[in-house]
Amino acid sequence: MNEPLVVIRFDGNGRVYGPGEILSGEYRLESIAFGQIRAVELSVLWYTEGKGDEDMAVHEFQRLAADDGDWIDPNRPGRFSVALPNSPLSYDGAILKIRWCVRVRVFPRKGKQVVGQRVFALGTVQPVESVAS
Amino acid sequence: MSRSFRIYAKKRGDRRTGSGALAGLGEAIFFGLFFLGGCAGLIAILATLILPQWRVNNEFVETTCVVRAKELGKSQGENGWVYRPEITIDYLVDGRQRRATTYDICHALPSDCKAQQAALERFEVGSQYRCWYDPLELGRVALVRGYSGWTWLLLVIPISFMLIGGGGFVYRAWHWGKSAEHRAATGTGPIKLRANHGNGSGQAALPTIPPSGNMSNSPGTMLRFRLPVSRSATLGLLVLIVVCVLWNLVAVFFVVDVVNRFMEGRPNWVETAVVVPLALVGLLLIYAAFRQLLIATGIGPTLVEISDHPLYPDGKYEVFLSQAGRLRLHSIELLLVGTEEVRYRQGTDTRTESRCVHRTSLFRRDGFEIYGGTPFEVRCPLEVPSGIMHSFKSESNAVSWSLVVDGRVAGWPDYRRSFPVVIYPNGTERADYE
Repeated sequence: MNEPLVVIRFDGNGRVYGPGEILSGEYRLESIAFGQIRAVELSVLWYTEGKGDEDMAVHEFQRLAADDGDWIDPNRPGRFSVALPNSPLSYDGAILKIRWCVRVRVFPRKGKQVVGQRVFALGTVQPVESVAS
Repeated sequence: MSRSFRIYAKKRGDRRTGSGALAGLGEAIFFGLFFLGGCAGLIAILATLILPQWRVNNEFVETTCVVRAKELGKSQGENGWVYRPEITIDYLVDGRQRRATTYDICHALPSDCKAQQAALERFEVGSQYRCWYDPLELGRVALVRGYSGWTWLLLVIPISFMLIGGGGFVYRAWHWGKSAEHRAATGTGPIKLRANHGNGSGQAALPTIPPSGNMSNSPGTMLRFRLPVSRSATLGLLVLIVVCVLWNLVAVFFVVDVVNRFMEGRPNWVETAVVVPLALVGLLLIYAAFRQLLIATGIGPTLVEISDHPLYPDGKYEVFLSQAGRLRLHSIELLLVGTEEVRYRQGTDTRTESRCVHRTSLFRRDGFEIYGGTPFEVRCPLEVPSGIMHSFKSESNAVSWSLVVDGRVAGWPDYRRSFPVVIYPNGTERADYE
């Protein structure tokens, strides 16, 4: 049996969004049997990369839990639609990068969590490199 | 080897090993034990100190007694001798006489001999006094009652244990099994401990943008706002002066001792070997502090005003610069500078690093003099480039912007003064933050 997988797709295959735009798409759970999922979490979040410790903040969070009576069918894709905030914008700096992504985390009844993530850009900030101070 | 080999390096980031789940369990057990320890301490203090005192004050029966003998009892405690008045009394219970040696109900053993002696002196042998006996245990009697102040202070210890342990356990239990995203989304946990960082007027619409209130609450004389100078420079100077004074106080003490020994003909070479670098560092600190103080006080005040704030990419503004003092300048330059600042933990150390990522010269003038009483003043345009990153601040990372004045002064140390500004995201309406 194949390894469980989460596939995320954005509507219109968009990768660059402006502040306040609607980010929408769907996610599919592959190679996961029906009834084997305890919960699914969808997050739209930003995180930092680079030399500093990672910071993260969640803009939108949804959780479906079978124990709470939510219907989780791995054969049907899940939809999401979120209005993006004004900040922080995606940024590619010298020692700091800010990334936006949609992350789906699946909690199976047995075994390890399955995580799928798709990065997108918020805003059109130009990449920079360090300059002499 | 193509790179240096570090024998010891603290782990950071992904190289940290260990299980997060086990760490969480360990934390929960630790806080749980803290809480239980606090509970045990609280019960012990209630049972041995507070409850007996309460019973004396509320349930013991009053009667009269005659003092037959008294002495200051003395015994060896953990930290030396401890003392307690021991007064032998005859007292009446239901018409029958009983004898007991007592003072208070708690049998406290303080180490203050004089205070205990003074308490003993209040009772005269052969005199009659009031006393209180336990109706459930007639042989239990006390000559003094009330509550001792230090008993309530003792309660602080177990209560603080319970608060720390209980709070930590609840926090850990609340977050048990939650993903990082779930914890970040719920944020405050079971108890709202986080203050509202928004300014209540729309700041929440622009999360992670530093507040701009400080930069726009001071009106300018030539333009709309006068920008405050960066506090970090002033703070740095204060810290440097304090460290310099403290270091040199210690160094002087040791240097005097070393010099005395040399003069007495019995030098201590080991001490000398340690003190010499200590003294050299002290001299360097004096030089550095003096230099910074000279820059701060010898160079006159620098004022920067701006036509509007906060700033936006593509925005056009006017900046006013005023430099006072009696200076002969090689050059003075006004720049817009963008800096990335990051903080990271490496083992138990916390390190910071910064990198300049943008530097635009707005104005420069070379080779001129400023005369005392007539500050140098200039206005210049500021065009914020399009596509630049807005100001950003999170727990460990930041992008910050400032207007920087760089001065190169003849016969004086170069100086740099920073005036922080906030750049908002491109396309954000002003109403979002007003």
